[in-house]
Amino acid sequence: MEVRDLTKRFGGLVAVDHVTFQANEGEVLSIIGPNGAGKSTLFKLITSFLPRTAGRVIFQGEDITGLSAHLVARKGVVRTFQETTIFKEMSALENVVIAHHLRGRATSVGLFLNTRVARQDEASFRDSADEILDYLGLSRVRHEKARRLPHGYLRALGIAIAMACDPKVLLLDEPFSGMNPEETDRMVETVRGIRDRGVTILLVEHDMRAVMRLSDRIIVLNFGRKIADGTPREIQNDEAVIEAYIGREDDELGI
Amino acid sequence: MRLRVAAALVGLALYLVVVPFVFRESRYLLGVLTTASVLSLISLGVWLTFAIGRINIGQAAFALVGGYTTAILSVKLGVSFWLCLPASGLAAALVGAVIGWPILRLKGVYFAMITLTLSEAARLAALNGGTITQGATGILNIPLPGEVTFAGVVLVPAFRALNVHLAFYYLAAILLVLGLFTVTRIASCRLGWIFRSLRQDEALAASIGVNVAKYRVLAFALGCFFAGIAGAFFTVSQQSIYPSSFGVPDSVYFMLYCFLGGLSYVSGPVVGAFVLFLGFELLHGLREYQMLTYAAIMITVMLWLPNGLLSLRLPARPDMKADTA
Amino acid sequence: MNYALIALGITLIFAIMGVLNFAHGQMYVLGGFVTYYVYGVFGLNYFIAVAASAVTVACVGLVFERFLFRRVLRITTREESTMLLAAGTALLLDSLSLALFGEKQRGVAPVVAGVYEVFGAFVPASRALIFVLAGGLVSALLLFIQYTRPGRALRAIAQDKETAALQGVDIDRYSALGFALGAALAGLAGALLVTVFAVNAGAGTPISIKAFIMIMIGGAGVVSGAILGAFVLGFSEALGYFFIPGSTTYLMILVGLIVFLIFRPQGIMGKPWG
Repeated sequence: MEVRDLTKRFGGLVAVDHVTFQANEGEVLSIIGPNGAGKSTLFKLITSFLPRTAGRVIFQGEDITGLSAHLVARKGVVRTFQETTIFKEMSALENVVIAHHLRGRATSVGLFLNTRVARQDEASFRDSADEILDYLGLSRVRHEKARRLPHGYLRALGIAIAMACDPKVLLLDEPFSGMNPEETDRMVETVRGIRDRGVTILLVEHDMRAVMRLSDRIIVLNFGRKIADGTPREIQNDEAVIEAYIGREDDELGI
Repeated sequence: MRLRVAAALVGLALYLVVVPFVFRESRYLLGVLTTASVLSLISLGVWLTFAIGRINIGQAAFALVGGYTTAILSVKLGVSFWLCLPASGLAAALVGAVIGWPILRLKGVYFAMITLTLSEAARLAALNGGTITQGATGILNIPLPGEVTFAGVVLVPAFRALNVHLAFYYLAAILLVLGLFTVTRIASCRLGWIFRSLRQDEALAASIGVNVAKYRVLAFALGCFFAGIAGAFFTVSQQSIYPSSFGVPDSVYFMLYCFLGGLSYVSGPVVGAFVLFLGFELLHGLREYQMLTYAAIMITVMLWLPNGLLSLRLPARPDMKADTA
Repeated sequence: MNYALIALGITLIFAIMGVLNFAHGQMYVLGGFVTYYVYGVFGLNYFIAVAASAVTVACVGLVFERFLFRRVLRITTREESTMLLAAGTALLLDSLSLALFGEKQRGVAPVVAGVYEVFGAFVPASRALIFVLAGGLVSALLLFIQYTRPGRALRAIAQDKETAALQGVDIDRYSALGFALGAALAGLAGALLVTVFAVNAGAGTPISIKAFIMIMIGGAGVVSGAILGAFVLGFSEALGYFFIPGSTTYLMILVGLIVFLIFRPQGIMGKPWG
């Protein structure tokens, strides 16, 4: 996937400023940067949840810029949300089953009439949902109403929902936030597992430990602009990056 | 599950067989039940919009569209009622789809207000419709439904020749049963789940590939279809239609029926409509205080049973079947 | 100007409680009737009558808030509940008016007689009086909201209920105040306008509809929006009736409004919705 000169302006504020990068198939690409650097906005732009001011997004040779959000998902580019977003009133299982929607082959009328195709869909969704829930360790709570699940499970459920879409590219928005080291480790393994299944992963995250362990490449944003692009080792030693983070800290400390 | 099916069958038997037979000479009672049935139908339409998370105060507008469609078609063009009926539904659905497409982007209070405007706008449109809608005088002398024959066999006799009230009762009953069946079916198939995903989180639904705009309009247009059919019904049963036949207060009532019956239940609007409308009629003896008592009771129910009447009897049954493994 | 009173009232209630006061028109009618009785029937001073209207309607508002809305807000899970409760209260007031006051239209003779000439147009003194009074009330309200402590509290709640609570504002008390005040404004409008237009028990709904239209134009929950909406509606009506007689005017206003709202759902001055 390629992102070219993606820009987003909100009135006078430039949230994302001509960001250009490439994501290679099967890699884990992390996007980091100080708070407010525009990382989440970038994700929203890529998946068409926000209209872009300028720039293009090209996926597998196809220009997907400006496609409506649900079509982007159908192309295989799926995102999770920053605040844990799940369907609160449904059970975990129901959440994942409905997430298979874009794999459905039945038409609306077919759904209504419960044709054979509709029933086949339903059965395959259920099997797939079971498998995904199992993989993420959610089998035990599959019948629990989503809003009753503890935080860690909700995170996993969010990923389960995204996985049900059979994505080619998965955009994870701060999947490690609010997790203790143990949970983080487990999540790192999970993400690795997903990557091994052939999914390209883009990650927005603040937890540096996880990012360093997981990523094949890292992109650093500051004030909406890309300031670095490379392997974890390269980034760690990059002047501009250190400046960005420490410079910020100085501001916050008032030094 | 068995109990539920049995109860439904009993209810159906009562509704379709026992009551009409026993009360076939009671014009008043039949009339009340007929009206309640049709009101339920309209409210079911409103329920569909609640199901996708919108507050719809515009249903009266679409009933008006349906009513006038039937009136104009049958009076000006002599079209048989039996064709007018689906035509009205389709007309209302079409208008709903066209208007719905842009306005369904709004949510909450804003959507409610814009639909309120629709109700009022429809009334004014009818009032100022010139020769087409005959303005304030309305369209009168609308003929009763005629007969339906197929291959020489009379399937439905002309209403003129029948006990008119009984005939309308049956028509209303059949329409309601069909409507209720349709909505229940939608609610329990994956369409219902799609609608529910829209209600709970539209952004998330979009991220899993749900064409949010399309399904919103689908639900809304379907709701309007019900209103259109009901409007057509009232037009022939009253044999007239006026701009004031369906207005803002009516839209509010439909909403209230859904709400008081229970928004989480498919049969909520039906229960709400029947209980409230019959209740209103029962209070007839109170004359000037009828409306007041009615309103007071309604508010009391809202205070004590904010989740509707059905939340009393069916504690754990949401609008779809519980998940079975 | 009178429209502004109505619009402000409903905006206040919406801003503080998040509820669309469906009963606003009915409160207007109630105010009108009270003034009719106090001034027209019992012959007391007009201003006393107006005050009485305000107080009566405010009390009704208080009762609604305290016993109905507060309770429902606390126990409901769905957001539609309060709106439907509001619709219920509208029905209640409507039927109450009908029961108490009967079906007849009631009007009150203009308080002052005579005609002024303003810029070549003839303005009846009574209308001028209403304009002045209404203007005075609106200004008083704006000053109140802007500069007094309760006013600031109300604004705080309107902006962010939780934060206001955290800062020690007694939400319950001020919600009640807000509702009562909003209601009183409706009552005042009724009291003022009953000298010009007659009221009858059924007039509530059309007035509520107008109130909604005004805040839709100007933006719900924003004071400046309310005033703006009131003026826009007033002008549109005047212009419309001048050129196109009859109710077609309103139809065009409504259609225009719908189209406008599709592009700008929050009205002219409203906060972006979400």
